[in-house]
Amino acid sequence: MNNTFGIIYSNPSYILISIGIFFLLFMPLIIISEFLFFEPFLVFSIYPETTLSFFLIVTLSLFSAFAVSMNIYRVKLIKETKKISSSIVGTIIGASAGACSCGPIAFSVIATFGTAGSIASSFLTIYEIPIRLTSIGILIIVIFVTSKSLSRECKVKS
Amino acid sequence: MVDTKKIAVAGAAVVLFAILVTFATSYMSDFDTARTPNTEDEFQTVELKQAPVLGSKTAPVTIVEVGDYQCHMCKIWFEETRPLIVENYINTGKANLVFMDMPFLGSDSIPASEATYCADDQGKYWEYHSMLFTYQEDEIDGGWASATRLQAFAFNLGLDIEQFDKCMTTDDYFSRVNYNKQVAVTEFGAKSTPTFMIINISTGESQRVVGAHPYSTFEKVIDSLL
Repeated sequence: MNNTFGIIYSNPSYILISIGIFFLLFMPLIIISEFLFFEPFLVFSIYPETTLSFFLIVTLSLFSAFAVSMNIYRVKLIKETKKISSSIVGTIIGASAGACSCGPIAFSVIATFGTAGSIASSFLTIYEIPIRLTSIGILIIVIFVTSKSLSRECKVKS
Repeated sequence: MVDTKKIAVAGAAVVLFAILVTFATSYMSDFDTARTPNTEDEFQTVELKQAPVLGSKTAPVTIVEVGDYQCHMCKIWFEETRPLIVENYINTGKANLVFMDMPFLGSDSIPASEATYCADDQGKYWEYHSMLFTYQEDEIDGGWASATRLQAFAFNLGLDIEQFDKCMTTDDYFSRVNYNKQVAVTEFGAKSTPTFMIINISTGESQRVVGAHPYSTFEKVIDSLL
């Protein structure tokens, strides 16, 4: 597995892709989960009650960055799109959780969809941690399977 | 044959796009619609002076908290930040606090807000307010703010239950709660809870704080307005 990582990230463009994907996910998630505030000025804050949630966001963003960049490498190498959808699904499941029920997104959703929006928002808030853990689980499997398949295919190619 | 993998990827992309669009539009509209009261006259038009006030009524700064009793970030703010504000600004007479209801999260939010005003009839608004946030549970409309529980909170505070029940069943404060919600959205541009408007009463200068900010933010803003 280490060897696979070494091969992929020896190319700086994959490091850049990973960093890009990490921030593309991490920034919106810390805003919607109310860790980063903009008004009246930029403030970053973690309350003791929300530490686990923040840790899961960091983990999810990190694993998404690895899973997606590894799959991009795989697609380029063997021209096969088989496993990339799993990493995207894992990322989306994790991203959908924990959009704070008191936040502006929930306000828009509840204002638009009424009771159904309220139930959905409440569900995503209550089950934030299990949903994120499931998502991280999916991403770990994707990384493991992709890594295995890459090392096997690289051996065959070489 | 339809390629299910392609459909899954396309579906996922659409969902991600929808999330991003909702996210972008809700934040942009948050900045666009804000209209803060700039003068004392405007401040009076929103009738905050009739609202229960925590602290001295003559304090130079008023903190208006826009909240929903079922909002968990409001609870976190109530437990983590509010005690420090009470200790350093409200108890010292530098600021006072007004709560403006914006019940939008669920069907139990409006009765919870109404109950606080029914408690206010018996002089226990802030005690009831604190009790709601203290006993708030994670699940929205999960029963923690049902009619029975609201009555139990009133009982625990030693309120006259007959009077409280009458107030709740006749919906005495339904229109007031809805009016507050309307004012929170139109006058303060609130799109989420908690949102705060910190106002210097004599100059009319105000500053909006969006979200459950830490104490340091309030310290900076209040000091700048004093």
